[in-house]
Amino acid sequence: MTGMKPAAGHDPAKGARKPDGLGPNSEIGRKLKQYYDELVSDDVPDRIMDLLNRLETSETSVPGTPKGGR
Amino acid sequence: MSEPAAFRDDLVKTIPSLRAFAISLAQNNDRADDLVQETLVKAWDKQSSFQLGTNLKAWLFTILRNEFYSQMRKRGREVQDSDGLLTASVAIHPGQQGSVDLKDFRKALETLPEDQREAIILIGASGFSYEEAAEICGCAVGTIKSRVSRARSRLQDILGIEGDGDFGPDAISAQVLGSTAA
Repeated sequence: MTGMKPAAGHDPAKGARKPDGLGPNSEIGRKLKQYYDELVSDDVPDRIMDLLNRLETSETSVPGTPKGGR
Repeated sequence: MSEPAAFRDDLVKTIPSLRAFAISLAQNNDRADDLVQETLVKAWDKQSSFQLGTNLKAWLFTILRNEFYSQMRKRGREVQDSDGLLTASVAIHPGQQGSVDLKDFRKALETLPEDQREAIILIGASGFSYEEAAEICGCAVGTIKSRVSRARSRLQDILGIEGDGDFGPDAISAQVLGSTAA
């Protein structure tokens, strides 16, 4: 394990700001965004939306139905 | 709008990003979709414990992440530890003009240990703050920072990107960030 560096002189306001070489000026930052945005823009598979609809239906039609626990 | 309907709407809005996170973790679309489904079922069951107006996205990411690691443990798969991988086995040629091909980037990302990969994704792509990421991962903010920084250097190494990774002129980023660069 690496030793902890003392936090002395660390500006707490920095926590809010975008980070360590991952901003829009960094190649890694841009690629990360590109990689992720591509995944986000994928169509959500039907089985996921179907599941949500089933959850919703089971909830409203039979309130308080105990879920088969596992 | 009734509360369940609002909850459902918020869930739906979060699914694409939740799924992107799942794919980055599991590196397999089918498994990622399973994870998303299990997360939705859990979230639905626990929705009474969720307070509308608080951070639903972070809550869902936390559930999904826990699910991912508990499945890994069930499969008896060791969680990768940060220094156990050989970066040398990935031969990636830096692209022309200093711009990295997305395919190469993906490959490089896959070589990162899970803890580093999730940290750099949460911070650099999903849009969470260090504090939120720390909460999602159940660790200290400093731990997230060091994972992000190790992930970044590792990616830079593999992809042959120079030092700081910031190509933009420092003066400009300093202005944008409002920092007081001397």
